[in-house]
Amino acid sequence: MRLFIELAKRSFQRQLSYRAATFAGLATNFFFGMLRVAVMVALYQTRGEVNGISLRGAITFTGLTQALIGFLSLFGWYDMMNSIYTGAVASDLLKPMGYFNFWLAQDLGRALAQLVLRGFTMMAAYAVLIGISFPHGIGQWTALTVSLILAWLISFSWRFLVNLSGFWTPDARAIGRFGFVLLYFVTGFLMPLRFFPDWFVRMCDYTPFPHMVNTVVEIYLGVLSGPQVAVVLTKQVVWVVLLVFICQLTLRSGVRRLVIQGG
Amino acid sequence: MGYILGIYRRLISVQIRSQMQYRFPFIVELVVTGFVTISGFVTLAFVLQRFGSIGGWKLGEVAFLYGLVETSFGIMDMIFSGFDPGNFGRQTRLGRFDQLLLRPVNITVQVLGSEFIIRRLGRIAQGFVILILALTMAHINWTFGKILFLPVVIASQIAFFGGLFIIGATISFWTLESIEIVNIFTYGGTEMMSYPMQIYPNWLRDFFSYILPAIFLNYFPALYFLGKPDPLHFPTFAPFLAPVAGFGVLAIALAFWNYGIRHYQSTGT
Repeated sequence: MRLFIELAKRSFQRQLSYRAATFAGLATNFFFGMLRVAVMVALYQTRGEVNGISLRGAITFTGLTQALIGFLSLFGWYDMMNSIYTGAVASDLLKPMGYFNFWLAQDLGRALAQLVLRGFTMMAAYAVLIGISFPHGIGQWTALTVSLILAWLISFSWRFLVNLSGFWTPDARAIGRFGFVLLYFVTGFLMPLRFFPDWFVRMCDYTPFPHMVNTVVEIYLGVLSGPQVAVVLTKQVVWVVLLVFICQLTLRSGVRRLVIQGG
Repeated sequence: MGYILGIYRRLISVQIRSQMQYRFPFIVELVVTGFVTISGFVTLAFVLQRFGSIGGWKLGEVAFLYGLVETSFGIMDMIFSGFDPGNFGRQTRLGRFDQLLLRPVNITVQVLGSEFIIRRLGRIAQGFVILILALTMAHINWTFGKILFLPVVIASQIAFFGGLFIIGATISFWTLESIEIVNIFTYGGTEMMSYPMQIYPNWLRDFFSYILPAIFLNYFPALYFLGKPDPLHFPTFAPFLAPVAGFGVLAIALAFWNYGIRHYQSTGT
């Protein structure tokens, strides 16, 4: 456990040192956020609520999703794959901790740093410059926090799984890109899934993807009733357990056929 | 001129041959790049099914904007990938640009020929499919003038986006880093141009009209093709400024690029 915390701390500090990159990323994310706000305003025009989401809620949605990009690495994450190709994986596998936990610890540090640097700052910028809504009461804040942690675990497991393909093929970047590009669409990142046709939402519900973004959004916006919140949080837990299990299984068969490509 | 074209053709054919060596990743990439475009379109279709229209524009009309931009940006991204600011900054930092400078061939042609990403064909093809879909949905009153003007608009957009890539690449002579801010203009520009530009706040639209003339490349030509009235009350010849704006930006970008090369100082790596 001490090792886990130490790794997370190191990775957190590493993120803090890229100041120029953080600022540039933030500016870009905010610019795209503004474009998305304009689209929402033009869509709503004089409408009140659309499937439970008001214009203010829709604007908050754009801020929240832009704020989550860094935290959940929504645009892709290739660190582990790259370490497989450089050969660093050989020494990583020898470390006195599981390979999954080794990366989980580092991703925890990365995610927390991104949440602070690009998440909270984005929400603050939105709150000041555009105007957004916030969750009410201790219950909603607690549910949001739990949901965020579970969303991160689902996102990490998915990224770990995608990166594991590096054990099988010498160029898994294309597979990786597909695994990440898919996310814009089916996690509810581009648009709230509530705006999509019911049959499509039901289809997505058989996958872990909506539980990375859409669930967090719906809890934040308060469009779910108490029992519904309990249901979606349970679904998130089930997906975490399932995905971590699949990761371990895949990892085991991957390590067995790994060939280190020099170093 | 013929000599330079010969060199360019050879550089590109080397690129294509090497990229075709790895068939499987190539095919996956082709599918992936296309998937982005298609999922963007499907999202638009889903959302407009619920909302009806965006700023008074129906699905076919917005899809016309989107398909046009995707096609042109895809073609540009294939031809001008040597200037891709993210990639170019890295090449400069590693000293690869210095190697090119040592060769007795026009430097612009060498950079242009240093990368030619054929997997972009995926994006181009799907952008084109969306454009065709849009053309059937939007009921355009085709005239001889419009048929002649469509390829001109596409060529102007390619020049415009190519100019942005070259400006971004030139900036990295000084910053030496791939600067994410440039993405605001390139990828932000395409995103913005995929929607009718009257929906944006005035200051933002003014910037993309008078400083970076993006609005003349997509929005005004689209008004002309679709026969829609102009809510912004620009002169009636505004749609026909597309080639002026597109090739103007490219010319300015090339001038800036030449200035950058004259003042280039190597990192020494």
